[in-house]
Amino acid sequence: MANNKALFPTVIWLTLVALTIITFSLGESAMSGKGVMLTLLAITMIKSQLVANYFMALRKTKFLWRAIMFGYFIIVGSLIAMAYLMGLK
Amino acid sequence: MPPAININNQDDLPGDFAIWIFIFAEMLAFGVLFVAYAFSRAQDVELFNASQLTLSRISGAINTLVLITSSYFVVQGVAAIKRGLNKQCAHWLTGAFILGGVFVVIKMVEFHAKFAADITMSTNNFYMFYLSLTFFHFMHVLMGMVILAMIIMKAKRGGYSTQDYVGVETGASFWHMVDFLWIILFPLVYIIR
Amino acid sequence: MKYKSQAVAKLYFIAAIGLFLGQILFGLIMGLQYVVGDFLFPVIPFNVARMVHTNLLIVWLLFGFMGASYYLIPEESETELYSPKLAIITFWIFLVAGAVTVLGYLLVPYASLAKWTGNDLLNTMGREFLEQPLPTKVGIVIVALSWLFNIVMTVLKGRKTAISIVLSLGMLGLAVFFLFSFYNPVNLVKDKFYWWWVVHLWVEGVWELILGAMLAFVLIKVTGVDREVVEKWLYVIITMTLVTGIIGTGHHYFWIGAPAYWQWWGSVFSALEPIPFLMMTIFAFNMVNKRRREHPNKAAVLWALGTSVMAFLGAGLWGFLHTLAPINYYTHGTQLTAAHGHLAFFGAYALVVLTMISYAMPILRGRAANPERAQIMEMWSFWLMTISMFFIALFLTGAGIVQVWLQRMSPTPMSFMAVQDQISIFYWAREGAGLVFLIGLLLYIGSFFVKGESRAFE
Ligand code: HEM
Ligand code: HEM
Ligand SMILES: [Fe+2]
Repeated sequence: MANNKALFPTVIWLTLVALTIITFSLGESAMSGKGVMLTLLAITMIKSQLVANYFMALRKTKFLWRAIMFGYFIIVGSLIAMAYLMGLK
Repeated sequence: MPPAININNQDDLPGDFAIWIFIFAEMLAFGVLFVAYAFSRAQDVELFNASQLTLSRISGAINTLVLITSSYFVVQGVAAIKRGLNKQCAHWLTGAFILGGVFVVIKMVEFHAKFAADITMSTNNFYMFYLSLTFFHFMHVLMGMVILAMIIMKAKRGGYSTQDYVGVETGASFWHMVDFLWIILFPLVYIIR
Repeated sequence: MKYKSQAVAKLYFIAAIGLFLGQILFGLIMGLQYVVGDFLFPVIPFNVARMVHTNLLIVWLLFGFMGASYYLIPEESETELYSPKLAIITFWIFLVAGAVTVLGYLLVPYASLAKWTGNDLLNTMGREFLEQPLPTKVGIVIVALSWLFNIVMTVLKGRKTAISIVLSLGMLGLAVFFLFSFYNPVNLVKDKFYWWWVVHLWVEGVWELILGAMLAFVLIKVTGVDREVVEKWLYVIITMTLVTGIIGTGHHYFWIGAPAYWQWWGSVFSALEPIPFLMMTIFAFNMVNKRRREHPNKAAVLWALGTSVMAFLGAGLWGFLHTLAPINYYTHGTQLTAAHGHLAFFGAYALVVLTMISYAMPILRGRAANPERAQIMEMWSFWLMTISMFFIALFLTGAGIVQVWLQRMSPTPMSFMAVQDQISIFYWAREGAGLVFLIGLLLYIGSFFVKGESRAFE
């Protein structure tokens, strides 16, 4: 049990590393377009929330704080998505 | 009334509440710049795409890994101090500090390459945003390193305990914010097109 | 009064209030000239009245800051002032220099004044707020340095608190940034840079430290709340102020020939400047709500809360209104700017000085608080001045919006003077509100002469 708990941050860290590598590979593959953009944003969202909840340790705090971090990403992320979709036309 | 009122009361946010006022303010500033970047891009997609391809994605990616790892070290440092282990805490944070240094060096090489190519904030809108955002973030990394250094020194002196580790958490929260912002900045400015 | 040397503050406060009255009279003259163009022509031309109005403002605020710090620092440092004598000498030098300068403005054509005072040796004159002849500018530096010296020496020999450190930093910044006024490059772009480094970095930088420190001091005194709480707020507020305020200078670089990226930097950072002002408001109300004692000086509490609210409205809200480049593109240099300038200067700096006077003056006169009747009068004057100033700002905002529309946005733009005719109704209204302001100020002065039992009430 104690061991599991100690391992947990490591798992999060490895997940973040993996997601970063995926992001990078998508960038290198020179793909672009709506699907790729949304995928990248989704990955970014997961990464940012992992950092907020597990690294910043907001997971166990008041709902408000997690809501701020999540709401932040939703607002910023969707505005970014909107701008990119505008640019596609 | 907002919770900011009780600046001194134990809040359930990790670290001193004062640092969270800054964290939220910084996130706001970066958020505005991120969105401004995206909308400026929509005005001139071709220029942004072309300029974006001149960035070194590999150094951006390496820097992402560097920051993520340093954040991970900081998490370990906080875990250590919660068990009262000043020395281990100092070791983890020193690791994070060194990685911060690596980030700075890579970033400076990147900046240098751009300046050597005569690229400035006035070159075009993309570079304006690229340089502003990364420079502004860069300053936060430096600031974060200063904070880490102060905590490391105090931890080395055995200055924290299982009762009193708010200082470590405060610095940790700031450092994670630096990581958090970069995690958004990297795909936005280097990758997505 | 805990320390004898605090008494020098009284001189400064009296001078400040006197000059304040002068400032308002010239404001009213100008307000009338706005609608009756030849009023007092040719005795007091508009440009001269303007110079006197704005310079008196700066000078009385400086008197206020100095007096306030001579009162505040001994108490914070728990020791007598380093040199009360120096403070008194400085006072007279400053007062005489100020009076001579204003007389110079009024009696001598500006060009001759410039010639006589060595402006061709070192060209510094002619810029708004910094019109002072060279000898006066040098005098200001000497006075500011002697003030700084006196305060810092006092702080060094006594207790060092967050409040006294922040206040000293603010004063240091005030003195240092004024030095930019000595450089007046021919290049108009550079000229503007240096001008803003005085004006902007003062009001949106170092003066805010002075503001924060004084507000914190009065709040501690009247609420009895723990110093520790206050100090942390103070540090957070001033850090935020300096970061946003220094880069926020960019909101003046939009159209003066600076690189275009300043439109982004200036907009984003200055848009954050209201945050520390908002924090100050929250902080003030929070302190008062958690007060541990009922201070008999109710008026001082009112002034302090009023400062925090009006500073937020004038600087934070009215500043934000036109600080984003796409908006400032239309509003730059219109009556909207004047609306903001008035509400911000009054709300932040005039009010904080009046707060300090309200708190300190009764004590300097040997009582904890003024008699009830005097306090009621003082509170009336607070409301009259504050509300009329708010209306002045509203009328000017109205004038500004119409001006922007007719002159800059409409499909058939009108010329500047034609627009001024269209909006004269707003100027009349502003003059009316200005008269109410004057009544408020006279009432305020009157409150010092009310006699009666000084006792705590309620
Ligand atoms: C107590 C603090 C402040 C004072 C006393 C103050 C005072 C002034 C004054 C007198 C001017 C006119 C300068 C001139 O003659 O051109 C001015 C301009 C301006 N202020 Fe402030 N200000 C304060 C805070 C702020 C803040 C916090 C903001 C932004 C959020 C702001 C935004 C502006 C802008 C954008 C202008 C330029 C207007 C134009 O383009 O004409 N100010 N301020
Ligand atoms: C109460 C009656 C007042 C009246 C009628 C009045 C009127 C005026 C007028 C007509 C101007 C010149 C505007 C221009 O150049 O077009 C002016 C400038 C100014 N006044 Fe007042 N004023 C009054 C009170 C005050 C107060 C109480 C303060 C500050 C505490 C103040 C601060 C200023 C400042 C900072 C400027 C320069 C504004 C700028 O550059 O935009 N005034 N005033
Ligand atoms: Fe400004």
